[in-house]
Amino acid sequence: MNFNVALAGNPNCGKTTIFNHLTGARQHVGNWPGVTVERKSGHYSFGDHKFNTVDLPGTYSLTAFSAEETIVRKYLVEDRPEVVVNIVDASNLERNLFLTTQLIELGRPLVIVLNMMDMAEEKGLEIDVDTLATLLGAPVVPVIGRTGEGIDLLKEKILRVVTEQSQKSRPIKISYPRDIEAELEKISMLLEEESDDDHMRRWTSVKLLESDKQTRDEIRKRNQGQGILAQANASVERLELLFKDTGRAIVSHARYGFIQGAIRECVKENLKLSTDYSRQIDRLITNRWLGLPIFGFLMWLMFKITYDLGSIPMDWIDAGVVLLMNTVSNILPQSMFASLLVDGVIGGVGAIAVFLPNIFILFFIIAMLEDSGYMARVAFIMDRIMHNIGLHGKAFIPMIMGFGCNVPAIMGTRILESRRDRILTVLINPFMSCSARLPVYVLVGGAFFPENAATVIFSMYVLGIVVAIVSGKLFSRTILKGMSKPFVLELPPYQRPTLRSLTLHTWERGYLFIQRMGTVILVGSILIWVLGYFPQSVELSRDYDSERDQLVNTYSGKILDLNARYDASIDHARSEYHSKLVEFEASAAFLDLETQYNDLMSKFSFAQENDLLVLRQQEISEITEHRWIGKVGKLFEPIVAPLGFTWRESVALITGFIAKEIVVSTYGVLFGVGENVDEGNDGVISSLRTSGMTPVVALGFMVFTLLYTPCLATVAAIKRETGTWVYTIFSIGYSLSLAYLLAFSIKYFGGMFNWLT
Amino acid sequence: MFNFKKNPRHRLSLENREGLRLSDLRPGDKGRILEIGGSEQFRLRLIEMGLTRDTEVCVDKYAPLRDPMELIIKGYHLSIRGVDAQKISVELIN
Ligand SMILES: Nc1nc2c(ncn2[C@@H]2O[C@H](COP(=O)(O)OP(=O)(O)OP(=O)(O)O)[C@@H](O)[C@H]2O)c(=O)[nH]1
Repeated sequence: MNFNVALAGNPNCGKTTIFNHLTGARQHVGNWPGVTVERKSGHYSFGDHKFNTVDLPGTYSLTAFSAEETIVRKYLVEDRPEVVVNIVDASNLERNLFLTTQLIELGRPLVIVLNMMDMAEEKGLEIDVDTLATLLGAPVVPVIGRTGEGIDLLKEKILRVVTEQSQKSRPIKISYPRDIEAELEKISMLLEEESDDDHMRRWTSVKLLESDKQTRDEIRKRNQGQGILAQANASVERLELLFKDTGRAIVSHARYGFIQGAIRECVKENLKLSTDYSRQIDRLITNRWLGLPIFGFLMWLMFKITYDLGSIPMDWIDAGVVLLMNTVSNILPQSMFASLLVDGVIGGVGAIAVFLPNIFILFFIIAMLEDSGYMARVAFIMDRIMHNIGLHGKAFIPMIMGFGCNVPAIMGTRILESRRDRILTVLINPFMSCSARLPVYVLVGGAFFPENAATVIFSMYVLGIVVAIVSGKLFSRTILKGMSKPFVLELPPYQRPTLRSLTLHTWERGYLFIQRMGTVILVGSILIWVLGYFPQSVELSRDYDSERDQLVNTYSGKILDLNARYDASIDHARSEYHSKLVEFEASAAFLDLETQYNDLMSKFSFAQENDLLVLRQQEISEITEHRWIGKVGKLFEPIVAPLGFTWRESVALITGFIAKEIVVSTYGVLFGVGENVDEGNDGVISSLRTSGMTPVVALGFMVFTLLYTPCLATVAAIKRETGTWVYTIFSIGYSLSLAYLLAFSIKYFGGMFNWLT
Repeated sequence: MFNFKKNPRHRLSLENREGLRLSDLRPGDKGRILEIGGSEQFRLRLIEMGLTRDTEVCVDKYAPLRDPMELIIKGYHLSIRGVDAQKISVELIN
């Protein structure tokens, strides 16, 4: 038979660890419908039965304030899994049991897992498992997730709960103080006329005392709804008067009262005199003076490792892509299909594939920070700063990673728990100037501000940060207003991460990148290829082929001429030496002649090469102008004209959408200097200078490059992480308008005050 | 925001107990929670995290930039911001 098993528990209680032990590799990561909360499911077989297992999001409660809580509650109520496995951190029992009381009331068959028994022991806690099981009315299984100890017993218990009636958890009642029980009874009586079973009635009554909106809405639809709600209101009012508190707070307090009673009965605390190592480490790591420097150092190290170490396999992948492109274009006859495959698919996807090492390394480090418990401290240390932008302290990490590449940075926003924080961080992340934008600054900055290039480039970075901060404030006061949750952050004890968990986390996140990005990037690359490939036949203003022939002819003529002159000189000289060959060949005059001849020869052939190249590049430039991409550039020219941009800038910016560093190579093509320019290329620099671009416009162009629509991969990441096109399109629109506005202001005010001239 | 160290009269205000806030406590101080103010959602969140009435709470330390603060409550470590700690009235139980 097939059974559904749901894992529920507090954040950080080791749910995912247990889930992995249960299901092994047979799992699937997706999203819960409508929200980007990860949904992990898998299955395992035990005792001839198949258990479909879902890892519910970690929550502290079921009050349905957050997306996570809503998901858990909805799943448990609507999908009614056969067993709910409640994972409880044994070293932090009291707080963890709060959720348990709610799960008990929900009435689904329950198995309670006491995880982290090793930590509890270290803390000197002795838990009487049998008494706890009796008190909670459900089987309790002690487990150590780190080692997998107790997992088999857990599987057995789950099996017995679903197969043996006698093992069904005898649903106990969470008992409340007398006054509350009296009111619950009154509500329950009215519910009795409905078809609810005992358990459901109690759950509904409690929820009504808590003025739970969902339950009230549901009751309102019933026949006796009004009467029940009237009683509920009266009960809440009475209790609120009595306890001088709100219904929900009263019930929550009462739950803790029940838990405290249970703990008194079954937990013995042996005050061990062992040192709390975690606290000692924390003393240093979050030290008033050392905390920030240590954090800064670790950030630097993370950055360094991600991009330095990553650059090694990055080169391999790059070389591999080039090799593949060459091989394929050698094998396939020249055709449209070959071009599509080589330039479109392999080139486009290859441009993104080179980021894979960075992404995997980054995810590995992040997993390390998370599993060790340091990530919570990052939030603790940086919260003061990030709070200013309306963000959680942890959001600092994706922000700083954005300087490397926005793609892993945006994927890194998963470390944030609240969806609102994730979206806000995702939206402002593209303004952190990623490394792909640097070549553009270096090129344009070098061309127009040779004296102050470094200052100009640095100011781009600063501008990006300022825009991110201002936008963050703006968003958190407007579109993302009021969704902020109070900052309550658990600081778990430090731990040595296990390799198993690290690789699993890294792979999970990295795989998503490969899987989801692949599709969007592929489509985008093909689109840009199409724009650059069609129409195939373009009418050119010059006949390049005949010009080429002419060029070759001219040089051949020159060479013929040279040869003739050389022969003549030799003949002439020889006659002077009266045919004394040996003496002649040793003479200085002869050597002179030879050198002159060789010099001229190589000069000619070099000049010919060069002229041919220039011609070829002019041709490419003109062809590009006539291709759709050039047409699009021209189409946008009137729009960007107020910024002082020409169709060239327009094309460069459009192609820069694939990856921002492409702006540089596009310029190379457009100025006919060749594709393989780097940022220091003198040809492009001098072409840029003579293209009519002014320093003011150049500055505007750099600012535009910094701010405008993030690259394709980033857009894909934004779509992936926000889960909706709404924010994705908003992000594109916002950054485009902002880029336009700022570039325009620079042009306008720059022109007005004659800056930079 | 919290001038607990710089203000020498601070300790005096501790003596009269009235209106003592969690944010007034210094690292190492222990307090008992009397009342949590603020919005209903905020109060419930804290109650769910175990900051119930009469619970003992120990201020472990403040972050390097003086905010947020770290508490030890019900045997685990929890961090909340100063502005939020101001909404929690406590009594000192050193
Ligand atoms: N010492 C100890 N550590 C454990 C045990 N089980 C899990 N951990 C560690 O606890 C940390 C959190 O485990 P996860 O499985 O990621 O916790 P989770 O509940 O899925 O967390 P969320 O995904 O935030 O809900 C990891 O670093 C685990 O290695 C255990 O039994 N003992």
